[in-house]
Amino acid sequence: MTPAWTLISAFAGALLVLLLPARFAGWARLIALAASIIGAVAAAAACLTKLQHPDAAVWSFDREWIHDLGIRFHLAANGLSLTLLLLTGLVAIAGVLFSWNITLRPRAFFAFFMTIIGGVYGVFLSRDAFLLFLFYETVILPKYMLIAVWGSTNREYGAMKLTLYSIGSSALILIGLVVAYAAAGGTSFDLDYLASFKYAPSLQSWAFPILFLGFAVLAGIWPFHTWAPTGHVAAPTAASMLLAGVVMKLGAYGALCVAMPIFPQGFVEWRLVIAGLAVVGIIYGALTALTQKDLKFVIGYSSVSHMGFILLGMATATHWGLRGAMLQMISHGIVAGLLFGIAGRVVYERTHTRDLTELQAFDLWRTLPGAAIAFTLATAASMGLPGFSGFVAEIFVGIGVWQSDPWLILPVAVGIIVTGAFSLRAMHRAFFPVRKPTAEAATMLPPLTWPEISAIALLITFSAAIGLYPMPWVTLIDDGLRSPLFHSILSLP
Amino acid sequence: MNYPALFVQLLPEGLLVITALLLLGVAVATEAKTKRPLAIDVTVAISALGIAVACAALYYCPFRPESGTSLLVMDPLARVFKAVVLMLGLLAVLMPPARHEIAQPGEFHALLLFALTGLLLAVGTDHLLFLFVALELASLSLYLLAGFSRTAKAAEASLKYFLFGGVSAAFFLFGLSLLYGFCHTLTLPAMAAALDAGPLPPFAVAGLLMVVVGLGFKLAAAPFHYWAPDVYQGAPATSVGLIAAASKAAGVVVVVRLLLVGFEAAAGSAVWGGMKPGWALWLGVLSAVSMVFGNVLALAQTSVRRLLAYSAVANTGYVLVALAANGATSAAAALFYVVVYGLATFGALAITAAVERDRGDDSMHSFAGLVHRSPLQAVALLVFLTSLAGVPPLAGFVGKFAMFGAAMAESTSQGIPGLTWLVGLAAIMSAISLYYYLMVLKQAFVREAADSAPVAMPASHRLAVLVPAVLLVALGLFPAVLLSPLTQALLATLRGL
Amino acid sequence: MLLLSLLLIPLLGAAVLGGWSGLGKSSARHFALIWALVPLVLVVIIGSHRAFPATGVIDEWKSEWLPDAGIALRFAVDGTSWLFLLLTSLVTLFALAASLRLEQAGRAYCALILVLEGMLFGVFTARHFIPWFLCWEMTLIPSYLLIRLWGGAGAPRAALRFFIMTLGGSVFMLLGFLALQLAVGTMDFSKLADLAANHELAPRLAGTFASSGHSGQFLLGLVAVCVFLGLAVKLPVFPFHAWLPAAYAEAPTPVTMLLTGLLSKMGVYGLLRILLPIFPEVLPALAPSLMVLAVASVLLGAVAALAQLDLKRILADSSVNHLGYCAMAVVAAAAVHTDRSAHAAAISGTILQAFNHGIIASTIFFCIGLMEQRSGGARTLADFGGLRSRAPVFCGLMGMAIFASLGLPGLSGFVGEFLMFTGVFSLVPWAAAVSVIGLLLTAVFFLRMVRLVFHGPLDPACGQWPDLTNGERWILAPAIALIIIPGLWPQVLLHCLNADTARLLDLLRILP
Repeated sequence: MTPAWTLISAFAGALLVLLLPARFAGWARLIALAASIIGAVAAAAACLTKLQHPDAAVWSFDREWIHDLGIRFHLAANGLSLTLLLLTGLVAIAGVLFSWNITLRPRAFFAFFMTIIGGVYGVFLSRDAFLLFLFYETVILPKYMLIAVWGSTNREYGAMKLTLYSIGSSALILIGLVVAYAAAGGTSFDLDYLASFKYAPSLQSWAFPILFLGFAVLAGIWPFHTWAPTGHVAAPTAASMLLAGVVMKLGAYGALCVAMPIFPQGFVEWRLVIAGLAVVGIIYGALTALTQKDLKFVIGYSSVSHMGFILLGMATATHWGLRGAMLQMISHGIVAGLLFGIAGRVVYERTHTRDLTELQAFDLWRTLPGAAIAFTLATAASMGLPGFSGFVAEIFVGIGVWQSDPWLILPVAVGIIVTGAFSLRAMHRAFFPVRKPTAEAATMLPPLTWPEISAIALLITFSAAIGLYPMPWVTLIDDGLRSPLFHSILSLP
Repeated sequence: MNYPALFVQLLPEGLLVITALLLLGVAVATEAKTKRPLAIDVTVAISALGIAVACAALYYCPFRPESGTSLLVMDPLARVFKAVVLMLGLLAVLMPPARHEIAQPGEFHALLLFALTGLLLAVGTDHLLFLFVALELASLSLYLLAGFSRTAKAAEASLKYFLFGGVSAAFFLFGLSLLYGFCHTLTLPAMAAALDAGPLPPFAVAGLLMVVVGLGFKLAAAPFHYWAPDVYQGAPATSVGLIAAASKAAGVVVVVRLLLVGFEAAAGSAVWGGMKPGWALWLGVLSAVSMVFGNVLALAQTSVRRLLAYSAVANTGYVLVALAANGATSAAAALFYVVVYGLATFGALAITAAVERDRGDDSMHSFAGLVHRSPLQAVALLVFLTSLAGVPPLAGFVGKFAMFGAAMAESTSQGIPGLTWLVGLAAIMSAISLYYYLMVLKQAFVREAADSAPVAMPASHRLAVLVPAVLLVALGLFPAVLLSPLTQALLATLRGL
Repeated sequence: MLLLSLLLIPLLGAAVLGGWSGLGKSSARHFALIWALVPLVLVVIIGSHRAFPATGVIDEWKSEWLPDAGIALRFAVDGTSWLFLLLTSLVTLFALAASLRLEQAGRAYCALILVLEGMLFGVFTARHFIPWFLCWEMTLIPSYLLIRLWGGAGAPRAALRFFIMTLGGSVFMLLGFLALQLAVGTMDFSKLADLAANHELAPRLAGTFASSGHSGQFLLGLVAVCVFLGLAVKLPVFPFHAWLPAAYAEAPTPVTMLLTGLLSKMGVYGLLRILLPIFPEVLPALAPSLMVLAVASVLLGAVAALAQLDLKRILADSSVNHLGYCAMAVVAAAAVHTDRSAHAAAISGTILQAFNHGIIASTIFFCIGLMEQRSGGARTLADFGGLRSRAPVFCGLMGMAIFASLGLPGLSGFVGEFLMFTGVFSLVPWAAAVSVIGLLLTAVFFLRMVRLVFHGPLDPACGQWPDLTNGERWILAPAIALIIIPGLWPQVLLHCLNADTARLLDLLRILP
């Protein structure tokens, strides 16, 4: 099974769901689940194949497309994209499972959902800048629709804000890509070709920030991050999982694998600015999360903080730092999916509130113990406690920061501590009551359904697996980092 | 002069004229007999047949470039675009006005066919005076078509269109005369050679400027766009469809022929840091102004037709970006984009017309809940508006990307792309445009409908919506199907000169 | 294999408890108690094996984690570790026994305690920073939950403070080790100790961070401070002890037994296994400030205990005091290099004190727990009086434990204290002198406690108190035995440590 099956299954799934007659609307979720599973299995198979045959030729699919502009339909997978494909597959399955009981227009919902998944797969597989941008843009409209129709708090405002930020940042990416294309002779949009071309340093000084910022806005760089908490809170659970877990990683992936390799000297010039903004993001996100009253807002701001770690890892321009950034991408994707899934679906469905004070009255530890345990484990993972994936990512980024900018290590430490504080506060307030000896026992809430349990189990298992046995993932990431794209970045002082 | 061969080349236009005269005859005869005007369906059928036969003639007639003269050029560019204009005209015919909107369908469609004839002739000529005559034929027909429904709004639209059109035609003619004064010839190849000879004296530059102004009106470039909102809102939908699609396409081809092919020497440059006066610079300025005006003013609109008018202004801006780069690839991309744009705007107008007839007004609220009432129409609207916004995987995205990419590539010297300022502005403006398109889509997809009755759309109207939608998706996935022939045609024309 | 089973069996027990949804609360507590016997048996078996003479290692388990980064999961048991393992299994059994009467304790409670035990086993045997840190941090959530969910009225705040402060310290420890990983490419304790012995750490740090312009000594000192911060919160050392009194008081008594008996020993173990061997170059320079902190803990712990009225808080502050002695001894051993016997005394004294204090303190808390149950929750000094007349056996045994904590010769508490003071007197006399005040103050508050609680007129609230039941006697007897035997015959414990202590001193180049 080649990685192309990820793309095929997602788009075919979307199309099939759309074509379902109204009578069979209940089948939409089954088709979506099947498509997600096929995609995840294809990604996993590709990862395993790569691990077993590390020197085998890279899978690729290359066809002439728009000859006059030098655009080819070129898909390929290296170690980096394989890990991200698997992440997408996992989050897709979990997202469908968490949306199992959608009653409002399920066909449209799952069609948009699968389109986003397909677009994300496409971005991770593209080796042509035009193709990458095409897939990147494809997810924008479905994102808007998912939030505007099926969302909750303030959904139209949240949807529009998110979409406008996305499209605005895409405009910057377009400018950057077209500048790169033109300055490289206007003959080819191939990413490897553009990355190997030596642009004039003066061009890179202004072209790099445009291209990087375009991607970084979607990755939640401070101060252009405000769309993220609003949008994620407004979105329905599955969309929040997708957005925070996977779509934000599109921005990080683009920044790492497109912006940085194409304009390496520009990157060196702007590196410290990026590192500074990343650190501010880490601390700002954490501090803001500490003061939130809505559980989903806490998770939204925590995403901003965690994405800061990814950007910081990239900004260190060291092998350790890049590895850490990639691991954090995978880890945060899983953990954010888990947190949103539990808060948005398991808890909200039953209690119809996300306010921390109101949730106290529900005594969730006693009435919904499965959710409490799951959230506790998810909080542990989010905090970067050892045994889960976040810890491994944290160590790598930490070493990378020591290597490149030791003076940044103190803000990073502060960030980690504040992250621990807000995560614990949220868990503490939402799930564990203040004990009143004479309080009556609250009524038991409906127990977790099997789709919810499966989704939670899937995500926790993977986070723990990465945390306890990171070797295969690190091997895949190292394979990706060995590509010529990163030579100029990693060899820079 | 091989007259028989020439007439064979003129068959498409001839057939259109014959069909128009036939229509008029039949209409007069029927009215005399039955005291009622000819049925719309009959006129649509006859017009469509006429256009189809003209298309067939264009395709099957032997193509002999050498039998052309400068009055009637027979190069690949003309051939392709005659086909395009005919197809866009056919789409307009398939979306006739409602029975109660116009009094004389026969005359209406005859005028439509005359307008198409004018556009066809304009696309295939190298002689400037003939070009002017052809454009006037088209314009006069369009002025009448705009005001055909005899409502107050239509009358206002028609009058404004006529006044603006008249003034710009005067500008165009005066500019041509000044250029004639310098070049002593009115055929483009000879003028190109004359302009090549040396620097232009001031009066020739003034002439060129006035020609550009005249063309700017035709394309609805700001600040010559003031006719557009009222015409788009007041005229019957079919007329607007023709203006938005076929007339725009023909206009762009005329600009390409005139400026890129003919006045190449007086181009100047719009590159940042190396600007030289010439039509490329003027087009760049026009482009910037159009994009900003069009997008910003569109943000405030509640009437969808006016929104589409301002969107037309903005899209002219995008096209002019590619033309300001003064290169073959970017011009080909611009031609591709204008076809795609024409299809998309036409489709959007078609759906707007149907909703307007159903609800009574064309404000955004009329679209509420369209996806529940007529899901296929809503999906088609989604395709059209997202293509206009430049969202993949539709042809509008490919077109914009191709235009901007080619424009940058063509204007790069020593590794520094010079048109970054313009392309950057275009990208940002294009991003802003998604907002107002989303406003309409939000109504259609997110809001609840007031009632669940489907929006009525006659069969030919449906066809006129289906074909552009399918084409936009197909061209989005396989753009080379249109882009390659256009590039080849343009290169052949440039080389021929 | 034995070691791996030891690490995994408590976790397996927790998993069984977690999955067995039909198990009632009382059955869960009994199940956990029986399950916890297995690790004790395993520890004893491990103890019966011979140690490898060269390294002192009795058993080892290793797994590659990230080979190209030199990170492996390595666990090993030597004499010192074995003693701590024994302590862990004993105190856990003790705590589970104490929990038998705790009504609210069900499957979750017992599972958490078992997880905690497993992680503690891991901490006391880890030989590489990653498994160390993994187990260290993984004790946080179970302890947090144990305090929070089954604790008293102030438990949420106490648990939160405990968690955040410990996390804060751990983060610094982590970052310090990451710097070492970058500089020398390894985080293995043995390899780092070897490098330190060859004076290679400082130059390598200086080389890696050459851009900062600081000397290798400065950088190494910075790393040492970071590591110390992590350990200091756990021990605790003044001023990082702020979380302790509230956490000990609010937690349910069996959990307090675990906290005082085991979690604080993690800090002591860390000082011995990490701080002392890896940073001997810079500790002499840091020693004066660290010594001040240690002595402050000793004094302030004792003074605070004097002011407390709640029995549990008295004991909590006294823990700060007792562990302050350990910190003092280790810092002294690092501060100066004089004669070997002084160092040997200080270090063995610390380890003994750790073991003995674990047993003694948990015994005292167990007794306080019994008092709480009989009095219906009251546990201040004023609530009791004249217990001797009602429950003589109980008072006798509790009194023995208290006197052991006081340091009465003949009981186990004396041996550790004596050795530590002997060592410290030779190494850093002023510290020992000042700490004697701590000894005196300890005597004061403990004797006051004995007087108020055991002697005096019988408090009317205690009028109906029964003496120890049979079950309770069975539980207390081994504990008291463990308090008496090492007091009379210290060699029973010392023989485990002597070889290791000698090896450590060789490593530190402290010659006879």
